[in-house]
Amino acid sequence: MQIRETLRLSAEALLAQKLRTSLTALGMVIGVASVVLLVSLGQGAKNYVLQEFEGLGSNLIIIQPGKSDRKTSFGPPLGAAQRKMTIEDVLALEKRALNIDAVSGIILGTVTVRRDESIVNISVFGTNDQFQRILNIIIGTGSFFTREEDDYGRRVVVLGKNIVEKLFGDESAVGQAINLNGSEYRVVGTLGSMGDKVGLNFDDIAFIPTHAALKLFNDDKLLGIRARASSRVSVDDAVAEITDILKERRDGEEDFTVITQLSLMDSLGTILNMLSYMLGGIATISMLVGGIGIMNIMWVTVVERTQEIGIRRAVGARRRDILQQLLSEALGLSVLSGAVGVGGATLITYGVYIAYPTFDMRAPVWIVVPAFFLAVVVGAVFGVVPAWKASRIETLEALRFE
Amino acid sequence: MPLIATRELGKVFRRGGEEIWALRDVTLAIEQGEFLAITGSSGSGKSTLLYILGLLDSPSSGEYFLEDKTTSNIADDERAMQRNKMMGFVFQSFHLLARASALRNVMMPLVYAANYGESIAATEQRERAEAALTRVGLADRMQHVPSELSGGQRQRVAIARALVNRPRIVFADEPTGNLDSKNGREILALFQELNSDGVTIAMVTHDPVIAELAKRRLVLRDGVIESDNAN
Repeated sequence: MQIRETLRLSAEALLAQKLRTSLTALGMVIGVASVVLLVSLGQGAKNYVLQEFEGLGSNLIIIQPGKSDRKTSFGPPLGAAQRKMTIEDVLALEKRALNIDAVSGIILGTVTVRRDESIVNISVFGTNDQFQRILNIIIGTGSFFTREEDDYGRRVVVLGKNIVEKLFGDESAVGQAINLNGSEYRVVGTLGSMGDKVGLNFDDIAFIPTHAALKLFNDDKLLGIRARASSRVSVDDAVAEITDILKERRDGEEDFTVITQLSLMDSLGTILNMLSYMLGGIATISMLVGGIGIMNIMWVTVVERTQEIGIRRAVGARRRDILQQLLSEALGLSVLSGAVGVGGATLITYGVYIAYPTFDMRAPVWIVVPAFFLAVVVGAVFGVVPAWKASRIETLEALRFE
Repeated sequence: MPLIATRELGKVFRRGGEEIWALRDVTLAIEQGEFLAITGSSGSGKSTLLYILGLLDSPSSGEYFLEDKTTSNIADDERAMQRNKMMGFVFQSFHLLARASALRNVMMPLVYAANYGESIAATEQRERAEAALTRVGLADRMQHVPSELSGGQRQRVAIARALVNRPRIVFADEPTGNLDSKNGREILALFQELNSDGVTIAMVTHDPVIAELAKRRLVLRDGVIESDNAN
């Protein structure tokens, strides 16, 4: 029998039982849609997290004291350092590393800030003037502190947006004096609205120069060093350079770890991809359930249409015509469900993207296309057995079947 | 050359270890243009014989020649082909597809004819089906589905379906069994008309009145031919 006739017959059969067809398809639709949705969700989460990191500057290089075994890990535990990391390390890198265009030490502490009657506890970062470029820090009013202010140990501070609001309200903060743990600091700038970046709320922190910070926290070592490669392609060279310089300064011992934004993103990307695959794998099980639904309805169809099969055989249908017809019905069901499921899920992911542009969970093509074909294949596989059985029915028995 | 010839045809059923011979030593020939009535009481084997001749069932012993060619050991696909090209079937309970219109039901054998090297264009399929329905008097009922037709009309659709691919022989199994006497007579008249147009007919019936109308009457008793006479 011609393919066109087969397709017409199966379309007719599916349309004759609209409710049954829709309900059977629904099982598969939900299965295939959950595959697409869950994988897209995983990819959306991955995009979101990576975007956050990218926002810090993709050329970022993180140098932490202490050695970690794996290159791609998130670095050694804090406080595992063997040897101090100091301002002299920063200066050496600044002077000798050619593939970086900014480098700064960082010190972190908590201080009590007073102005008149207002008291707030805040986190303070001690950095040099270049840190602004490393993390793409946005300045609201005034400016970030200068190199001179750092070198001479000036007590100046750049405040996050929320701190300014708490201490100054609507007043202008730049040029005003505030008290940090008993020392007087002059406000030279305020941060623009930056919000959260990888769990750190820039609106709630303040920056002071490195030298001033060492004095304020009564410390002589840095928490770590941050640098920026001069371009994305020079990140690897910069890492090699930094490693060489710091090793030389440590008698050849590599008791520090250099992590790049890229390697960090790689590891994160791998983890989040695994998450996507896992979610997709779980959802595939629901597709099997959908396939069993198709198989179930095909069995019912075969029994119900036994007499039809007999009539067709009597007027000249071969076994393979019957097989072809029922298989094409199962395929029709699965193509329909696959298209509706994949299409619907894709639309939902685009809808979410339009509503929340920061969370890009648009269904990637590499899941849309395979999910559709998987649905078709599952439907076909589960349709084969009932169709085969139908084609093996003896004509005379089928004709007499009531 | 007879259209159909059998030699010592037998059919055995096994029920609970017991062998029941539904047919035994049936030797007969049917010539082109005949109108044969196969009669006998219930269980005499008349339907079994008809289904074997119609290639819907196989004999347990003996041989069946269709146009002088043996049908023993022919493949299932070829049996389907012979049913499609050589034969038409009319059943007691009509056996129409409930979903399909009269026209679609009648077109069905033509659709499968494409399997056997005779691809018929869709327009020609429709024309031939329309012609067959017109011939059985249903020119104005072509788009109706079986549930919208009376029993007599349904059987006419079935006859049109049996005729549409220009068979050499039409097998009818109690074609009037589910009809009232008026409709039964009309269907019978239609068969006689077809036969006078040259269509060979083999009809199973238990009604002696109907059997009288056929040109030849074969009586079976317990699976054996009791008599075989021209009327």
